[in-house]
Amino acid sequence: MGRFLLYRLLRTLPATGAIVSLIFLLSRAFILDQPLAGRLADADLSTRAVSAVQRQRAEEQIRHRLGLTGPLFYFSAVQGPATGLGWRWRWNGTANQYHQWLRHLVHADFGVSFRDGQPVVALLRQSLYYTLPLTGGAVLATIGLAWLAAPHLGRQSRRRRFFLGLLYLVDALPLFVVALLLLLLLANPDLLAWFPSYGLGHEDASAPWVSRLQLLASHLALPLLALTLVSLPPLLVQLDAALGHERRADYVLTARAKGLAEIRVTRHHILRNALLPLLTLLAEQLPALVAGSVVVELIFSLPGMGRLLAEAAAARDYPVLLGGVLLIALSRLLAQVLADCLYFLVDPRIRLPA
Amino acid sequence: MSRLSSSQSIWWWLAVLWLALLLAAALLADVLPLPYAADTTDLMASAVAPLTGGHWLGTDSLGRDVLAGLLFGARTAVLVSLPAAALATLVGTALGSAAGFWGNKDLRIPVSYGIATVSVVGFCFVCRGPARAFYPTVSVVAASCYLGAALLARCGYRRQLVVPLDRAVLVLIALLASVPLLILALTLAALYPPSLSGLLAVLVLTYWPGPARLVRAEVLRVRALPYIESARALGLPTERILRRHVVPNIWHTVSTTFPISVATLIGLETTLSFLGVGLPPETASWGRILASARLAPAAWWLILWPALTILLTTLSLRQLSARNSTD
Repeated sequence: MGRFLLYRLLRTLPATGAIVSLIFLLSRAFILDQPLAGRLADADLSTRAVSAVQRQRAEEQIRHRLGLTGPLFYFSAVQGPATGLGWRWRWNGTANQYHQWLRHLVHADFGVSFRDGQPVVALLRQSLYYTLPLTGGAVLATIGLAWLAAPHLGRQSRRRRFFLGLLYLVDALPLFVVALLLLLLLANPDLLAWFPSYGLGHEDASAPWVSRLQLLASHLALPLLALTLVSLPPLLVQLDAALGHERRADYVLTARAKGLAEIRVTRHHILRNALLPLLTLLAEQLPALVAGSVVVELIFSLPGMGRLLAEAAAARDYPVLLGGVLLIALSRLLAQVLADCLYFLVDPRIRLPA
Repeated sequence: MSRLSSSQSIWWWLAVLWLALLLAAALLADVLPLPYAADTTDLMASAVAPLTGGHWLGTDSLGRDVLAGLLFGARTAVLVSLPAAALATLVGTALGSAAGFWGNKDLRIPVSYGIATVSVVGFCFVCRGPARAFYPTVSVVAASCYLGAALLARCGYRRQLVVPLDRAVLVLIALLASVPLLILALTLAALYPPSLSGLLAVLVLTYWPGPARLVRAEVLRVRALPYIESARALGLPTERILRRHVVPNIWHTVSTTFPISVATLIGLETTLSFLGVGLPPETASWGRILASARLAPAAWWLILWPALTILLTTLSLRQLSARNSTD
């Protein structure tokens, strides 16, 4: 088991590393091409009327501070003389930006944000404090709802058809539209103002913890609902198909003939066998939920990782963007390993290739 | 049974009608007699409700007409999603069917020609000189390399190199799949200045693994069927087997997934526009109308109309795909 997991990790880690490296190189290549001054909120550059020489010197200083000087990769190609074709190749050794970035990465140093100079690791940690409860809650709510719905799935009934139809409609909309519609329906002073529409409320440290928790719950309810609504349809459709398939098996007939209640037959006998194809789907859901939080946190103004990423993308704050992408890729890796472990637990007959 | 099929065909016709309307709106957005053009700010009517002051569907908080935004947004959605879906399906089908058909063992190239190609490409990278001399030199080098390879093959050197095509494609897919689609598109779109062609490139680059996976699985199934074996036994050339016998059989899968791809890409485009990434800010998009709803929370018309448009479009495309899959 341990060996198998190690093998899986060793096989999937290079892909993650490669894609993140690729994004790093692309972003740095883009930055080297254009002046930074307009995009950096550097008061010295934008407000004071300075001469061109001073401006250039200031830009060089900024580049130096952000580690944007020197060659990009281990080797670089320089265009030959203006009249000729072909490249001149140069070996740069380890004194290049990519190597420095990798070295810092190994020491868990993701660099500093281009916008405000805060370390990316601190930013990510702060935002995870809000994102983890949200996504974790959404995963739990999805699984719980699927468990509740399981006895009604996989057989003909009017209620099942109605709910699956409803989920089909929800599934046709992108997540941000679902979130906006929820906002319009349930947090609208003209219609139903059940929930606050944005933010986390005032953190009043003196209030009793029960009311603080209540406040937090009322603020997180709509984002949670949006994420759950969107992640539910694929799961339930798969579960419906799997349950419908299993219900025709002989052991179900035996269980019913023993006189077991229908709900018990479903939850104890059928669900276990129908679970296997769902585990992969669940492993896919975890990173997808983190991706979904990009939209949801922006709409509901939650200071989480999704909003951090969306704002970093809109402002081209590459270190933050890269840190977020790396974290999400790692969470995906973790989810896959988790799914493998669960496979082993659910069906011990599976012999893992070591 | 007949009632079922007739009601199904009604839905199908409705779907086709809606999509045709959308296409017409996209094509004719410029010439339609709209009371207000897109992107003109009517400062006298900021965030007004539908049916007031000639704004049939209302305006956003900057006074831009929602109806015009929807029509021009349809043009953007069509311009982005159709080419992106077509290109991604093309790339995915090509790579997926090649990977499925040749697998890890069946594609062999003669070692001599492989070495010749590698050395010609390497020469192009290393050689330097005036532009006039470049192309003649390269063609001389290429000719001599391939001549040498042909001579070697003639002399009896016929070692073949097995190309693990399937593994290569799977590695590429794994590379792109290690980050969720939305995050990858968001990141790549943030790398370059917003433009239509840039967004197209990003969408094609991130979306092709989906069709590729499906096509690969389908080709793996078809390839094991007896008639492919008999086609091989007859001595048909590989290219002909692929074109005449494999592709017609997977065409069904491709045509079923294409509408779904279009729907997914429309969703992705609107999400990116909503986040303010990918397209230039002055381009009309359904996502941008929805984004403007955040500035005017009480304006239900800013959410309802684009949401309804997206919903109907997605449902119609799904209906199209479902019809394809039952045919």
